Amino acid sequence: MIPVDTPSVTAEVTRALQAVLGDFGADAPITPESTFRDDLGMESIDVVALAGRLQARYGAGVNLAQFVASLDVDSVRELRVGQLVDHIVLSMSAAGDRL
Amino acid sequence: MSTVRVNGVDLHVQVLTPTGVADPPTAVLLHGLATDSMASWYFTMAYPLVERGFRVVLLDLRGHGRSERPALGYALGDFVDDLDGLLDGPGPFLLLGNSFGGTVAFAYAARHPGKVSGVVSIESSPPTPVWFARLTNRLSQLAEAVSRPRTLVAVGAKRGARGTQRAQEAARLLAETSVREELPASRLPSRAQLQAITCPVLCLYGDRSHVVEMAPETQRLMPQAALRVFTGQKHSLLVDQPEDVRAAITSWMRTARLGGHDA
Repeated sequence: MIPVDTPSVTAEVTRALQAVLGDFGADAPITPESTFRDDLGMESIDVVALAGRLQARYGAGVNLAQFVASLDVDSVRELRVGQLVDHIVLSMSAAGDRL
Repeated sequence: MSTVRVNGVDLHVQVLTPTGVADPPTAVLLHGLATDSMASWYFTMAYPLVERGFRVVLLDLRGHGRSERPALGYALGDFVDDLDGLLDGPGPFLLLGNSFGGTVAFAYAARHPGKVSGVVSIESSPPTPVWFARLTNRLSQLAEAVSRPRTLVAVGAKRGARGTQRAQEAARLLAETSVREELPASRLPSRAQLQAITCPVLCLYGDRSHVVEMAPETQRLMPQAALRVFTGQKHSLLVDQPEDVRAAITSWMRTARLGGHDA
């Protein structure tokens, strides 16, 4: 069972971000307030790779690809790490309720 | 994970699957040369196709995006071989290609006419000698642009360190691989092979891009092709006007009776 409380998901998303950004990650620490583009410097292909990683971790229930793909370029730029975490926590607990 | 080894090259592949659809048809999204990646499709057409009941396959072409960049193997046939290796099963596949991705889609359809249910080409052309002469020119211009430090400084100012890194990777594709030699020297399908593509075809163009000059020849080769020209649009039509592109593709899919359903 994968833990889906906010601290665990935040840790998981941070790990995935570090893996995607590799050596070129931003110097600033990754926090729930960090924005994808302006703070973390992510390119759109990085966001795609991140979504793929988290989808593999949490399964189709989080609809992560759909969540990300439904954003336009400007919304992706403004997206914060915490919003992504909230989306995962909400989708996973909704999925749990249905079981 | 999202890396698939095909023809000895690690390709970045993402597959999006519709929920509750048994045996969904497959759509494959192919991006353009050098500076492009699957992202331009991911944020525009990928989910609309999933919502229509398609299993959607996105890949970064060899040498691009997060796929491996081998030193050799950049003839048109190499890109088609990769697609061949990735797509198992009898199909049929709906292929959508942006710019050079459209050319790969037509080349795959020329090789396997029976496995393709339809081709959507955005700002692209079938692999003809005239089109390849233009691609060769374009590669030279790009190589020159990205080799100038001034270009990288401008990209950095606009897109930050990571943007600069991506631009440098496009520069490396052009400088450190055989793409500029192998792609222009590609063996192209014959006219007869291109004329044997009889599936529904949709070609979208921007009227401010020179690619629209390829439209008459495309129409001669494939009289069934539906053409749409968008006023005021450039080569970056897909990324600049995703909603109009989406509307054009879905209405064509309805007319052409291509799999999937209205969401």
